[in-house]
Amino acid sequence: MTVLDILLSGQLLFAALVTGSLYALIALGLNLVYGTMRMLNVAHGDVVMLGAYGAYWGFTLLDIPPLLAAPVVAGLGGLLGWALYRGIFQRMLSGGSGAGNNRLESNSLLLFFGLSIILQNATALVFTPNNRAYNYLDTVYHFGGVAMTGNRLAALLVAGTACIAVAVFLSRSVFGLATRAVIERREAAHIVGVDVDYVQRLSFILGFGSAALAGVLISMLGQFSPFSGFPFTIAGFIVIILGGLGNTMAGLLAALLLGVIETYGVALTSANMRSVLLYGAFVAALLLFPNGLFAGRAKSR
Amino acid sequence: MTLTKTNRRTAVGGIAATVLALASGGVLAQADKPLRIGFSMARTGMLANATPSQLNTYELWREQTNARGGMDVGGTRRKVEFVTYDDQSKPDQAVRIYEKLITDDKVDLLLAPWGTPFHIAIAPVLEKFKFPLVGNTAASVALRKVKPGYIWFPTSAIPDRIGQELVKMLKGENVKSVAVLSNVLPFTKEIKNFVEPELKKAGIEIKVSAEYPPDIADMTATLTQVKQANVDAVLALAYPGDSVLYAKQAKELGLNNPFQFIAIGPSDAFFAKAVGATSAEGVVTIAHWSPKAEWKGSQAFYDAYVKKFGEDPDYLNSALAWMSLEILETTVAKTGLDKAKMREMISSQTFDTINGKVKFEGVQNVITPTAFVQTQKGKLRIVWPASMATSKYEAKKGW
Repeated sequence: MTVLDILLSGQLLFAALVTGSLYALIALGLNLVYGTMRMLNVAHGDVVMLGAYGAYWGFTLLDIPPLLAAPVVAGLGGLLGWALYRGIFQRMLSGGSGAGNNRLESNSLLLFFGLSIILQNATALVFTPNNRAYNYLDTVYHFGGVAMTGNRLAALLVAGTACIAVAVFLSRSVFGLATRAVIERREAAHIVGVDVDYVQRLSFILGFGSAALAGVLISMLGQFSPFSGFPFTIAGFIVIILGGLGNTMAGLLAALLLGVIETYGVALTSANMRSVLLYGAFVAALLLFPNGLFAGRAKSR
Repeated sequence: MTLTKTNRRTAVGGIAATVLALASGGVLAQADKPLRIGFSMARTGMLANATPSQLNTYELWREQTNARGGMDVGGTRRKVEFVTYDDQSKPDQAVRIYEKLITDDKVDLLLAPWGTPFHIAIAPVLEKFKFPLVGNTAASVALRKVKPGYIWFPTSAIPDRIGQELVKMLKGENVKSVAVLSNVLPFTKEIKNFVEPELKKAGIEIKVSAEYPPDIADMTATLTQVKQANVDAVLALAYPGDSVLYAKQAKELGLNNPFQFIAIGPSDAFFAKAVGATSAEGVVTIAHWSPKAEWKGSQAFYDAYVKKFGEDPDYLNSALAWMSLEILETTVAKTGLDKAKMREMISSQTFDTINGKVKFEGVQNVITPTAFVQTQKGKLRIVWPASMATSKYEAKKGW
């Protein structure tokens, strides 16, 4: 294939969009939690993995189509987020300012690491470490020479819709306003009467719920095991670094960009270059745009 | 605190009970004591998803053996008990576990861990303690460098021989051009390194030769290239982790190459469930076993496995695991637990297994030929070599 062939290939564009939209959905939840609480959830990918199991068991044991199960699994993910927030993080976050709060970032990182290890190994114990995959919506559709398997098309549409819905919600609703206030100036938001605790709780629920939803979609595409969550955490990190930590809107664009970099980059070089491309984008973004690619407007926090 | 006190008391009680139980066990005669067999297995970590087909086989064997009254140890039947640890997918962890099994747990016999790096890593431990172990799920040319006498490898799926046999098969099917896609993990990379020179020697054109990382999540770019190349055969040197992705995307892009080879994955029951029966149909993969009338016990093993686990055994790993158990059983029935006698017998005798006769020269099985199987009407059939084929190869018709 010539370079021109690659750049004009609709098939690659479709692949880039599927990858990008999934990255966007994953990064969205990660970014919400980071933005509102300054806590980096390294167990985020493991929640994605749990969502994949939810869809898998629903489909193989109960014959529930994954797309129908998706809202339920997302709800369960949200419930897990709520439980963790109430059980562990609420107390940490309300520790007030001062020394305790300074350690918040590192303490929460340790907690999330622990959570990640527990989720992975508990899943392996309960569900066995077998590879899991199932066959759903495997009809191939052709649109103008581009072949699209039903499940990949569905993943793109659902992830895209979910991202846009959350984006609209955050930009139009009062909660969204409050969220952005907390992200930008936490203390000030508290002073002017924003219910910070409520914003944080809802961010946890939305964050975990969207991760579980992403898991449902990913389970339709390939196989997964209890240990396949971590790469998604990494992809999510790269996206939010590209887009700017806590900047949820820019994260959506950054995710699509990463999908494009990955898909076309691999086509132009080799699949072995995938990690180099991903981490290359990561390092380049940190060096050149430490506040994110789209940080022109924001005056920094 | 009261809470800690209670805990401590419970713990002391627990220890006392254990000691008592152990002490009373010691009074019993040797024959009533269970035979303790140790092994490590990757239950967690990156390789854990590959091990269940082997572990299931061990479990099935223990169940059947104990139902028969136990394992025959030089004429006396003793119930079998497993002592196992999770090696967390780390070979160095397996080394420590086997040392512990031998010196601390003082197990009577050892079974193999999963995978080539683990077999190679524990070989020096076996040599140090002169403890024999029949390997199973290891396949690499590197195995031949392992010092013989303490570990043996029944597989014939060694990459250099796979390279030669696969090219012979391709030539026989009149294949003129191929695409080679390889996961960069050791086993598939090794196959690639051996198959490509053989292809060139045979005058088969390699139109696409691509490698990809184990964590690949989308193959569109590579498979678009393969589609354009319009080759007669695709050799997808994939691991279980990416064989499903390959099949799903080959279907999306409509790869219609008649010869579709996927290295690892299709021999395991999960593959057909994951990609659908039509996609799995006609895929060729590596395995040298299948239930077959002249291989005594092969059908019984297959039936028992399906009955217990509700799915087919892995035609490569489960079969190899069972063979290693058969070899161990035959040996111990004759030699008892005398390690030196065991080593001598395993090194010299010809064994009957569910995969036919097995004889070791050095560390290698010199009888079983390297073979390939193909999914035909939902069942795996041996299609190469002709000498042991259970069916004839058929071109794959779409996904």
